[in-house]
Amino acid sequence: MTSSSVKNDALDELLEFHWMMDMIQNVDVGIVVFDRDLQVKVWNGFMEAHSGILPTDIKNQPISTYFPEIKAPWLKQKVKPVFELRTRSFITWEQRPYLFKFRNYRPITSSAPYMYQNVVFSPLVSVMGTVDNVCMMIYDMTDAASSKKQLLELQVKEFESSQS
Amino acid sequence: MLSVLICDDSMVARKQTARCLPQDLESQVHFAKHGQEALDALTAGKGQLLLLDLNMPVMDGYQTLENIKSQALGVKTIVISGDIQPEAMQRVKDLGALDFIKKPVNSEELRAAITRHGLFHEEELEQENSDLNELVRDCYQEVANVAMGMAGDHLARIMNVFVQLPIPNVNLIEVSELHMMLSDIDGSESTSGICQGFLGDGISGEGLCILSDSSFADIANIMGMKEDIDDHQQLELLMDAASLLIGTCLSGIAEQLDMKFRQGHPVVLGQHQSIQDLIKANRNAWKKTLAIEISYGLEGYKVKCDMILLFTEDSMDLMNAKLAHLLED
Repeated sequence: MTSSSVKNDALDELLEFHWMMDMIQNVDVGIVVFDRDLQVKVWNGFMEAHSGILPTDIKNQPISTYFPEIKAPWLKQKVKPVFELRTRSFITWEQRPYLFKFRNYRPITSSAPYMYQNVVFSPLVSVMGTVDNVCMMIYDMTDAASSKKQLLELQVKEFESSQS
Repeated sequence: MLSVLICDDSMVARKQTARCLPQDLESQVHFAKHGQEALDALTAGKGQLLLLDLNMPVMDGYQTLENIKSQALGVKTIVISGDIQPEAMQRVKDLGALDFIKKPVNSEELRAAITRHGLFHEEELEQENSDLNELVRDCYQEVANVAMGMAGDHLARIMNVFVQLPIPNVNLIEVSELHMMLSDIDGSESTSGICQGFLGDGISGEGLCILSDSSFADIANIMGMKEDIDDHQQLELLMDAASLLIGTCLSGIAEQLDMKFRQGHPVVLGQHQSIQDLIKANRNAWKKTLAIEISYGLEGYKVKCDMILLFTEDSMDLMNAKLAHLLED
């Protein structure tokens, strides 16, 4: 292998890394990486757009600095198995409508007061084979939640009218 | 030829009323933004029929009626108002108004009223209170104009047609009256619509793209689809058109504001429905919205496509700040 082809490979990898980062920034899912002290390492474009908090501001800060309603002991408990057992951990909108109070993506035509969220915590294994960071993914579930709530309301109405 | 003067402080309302005039009535329509303008127009001989709103700045409807009476301006007046208290109706009739029509106006009622008073032709005005100052509105209009041009250009290149660019309509409207501003789509016609949320830098809103169902055959034709198109294909066409229009228009606006918008996933509002059924706005959360309406047409085709960008009320301060440089002398 010539030195120029090695150089090209390295350049290709760098370019690939660049668009991979772009992808993480632009994916329509919230991505937050944090360590055992809940200090934020990654805050992607979705999180920035919906929270208005810049990645440079929140980086290396505990999540609770910007979101005091997310209690550290609760979150630590939640991610303990992710760090220790390397299993995924979940929060669904049914159990907790949202983790981050973001505005509904469609403020005018959707009646939901905020963005319903599903949250997944997934372990990130380092090159050393240890889990030092957790990747938190936030999914916008507003449409599903709204339809399910409407359906439930209808079922209750139907049931009540059949009883009377 | 009947000379009709529509007096209302809202542009949307004036337009709405003008649209409700019977199609087969030969008329010349004049507009006035308040009572004083109406009196000036009447004095200048414009207006045999006056369609008058009651709540207006400068001079309201009651004062206008008083002046018409005292100056003996021989105009026939029909009041169109959202204030439908019996007292209001009685007062305007005492002041010489021939009839009273409640808002929102519809063409049947208007036709009936004009016919009843032997004019056959009557105009009705729908009023919306706009708090936008002229300069700011002008500024948004210009921004929309540039963005619309870009979107039209994309559309023209992709479809290989000539796109007729209208003047964008910029208004601060009540969320509940959203469907009324969709001027290019007949209330009786069925429509299909897509909406898409967007946000960036604390500015948020939604883009709506509404196509009248009669447009699909022509669009399919332009896109080179020969066979009859079914619902799925219609939806695909609508989705393509919406992504194109909303996407390019938003990026045009973002560029001028020196920012970026993040677009959510588009949502189908409905297919083959009336405008009223299509748009059920979140009335509780927002009272007013800044609406930029652009009605696209394609030369030589019967395509009617309305694109509306709606910004939440609380986005406006930020947008005004970003547009401040355009307002400087």
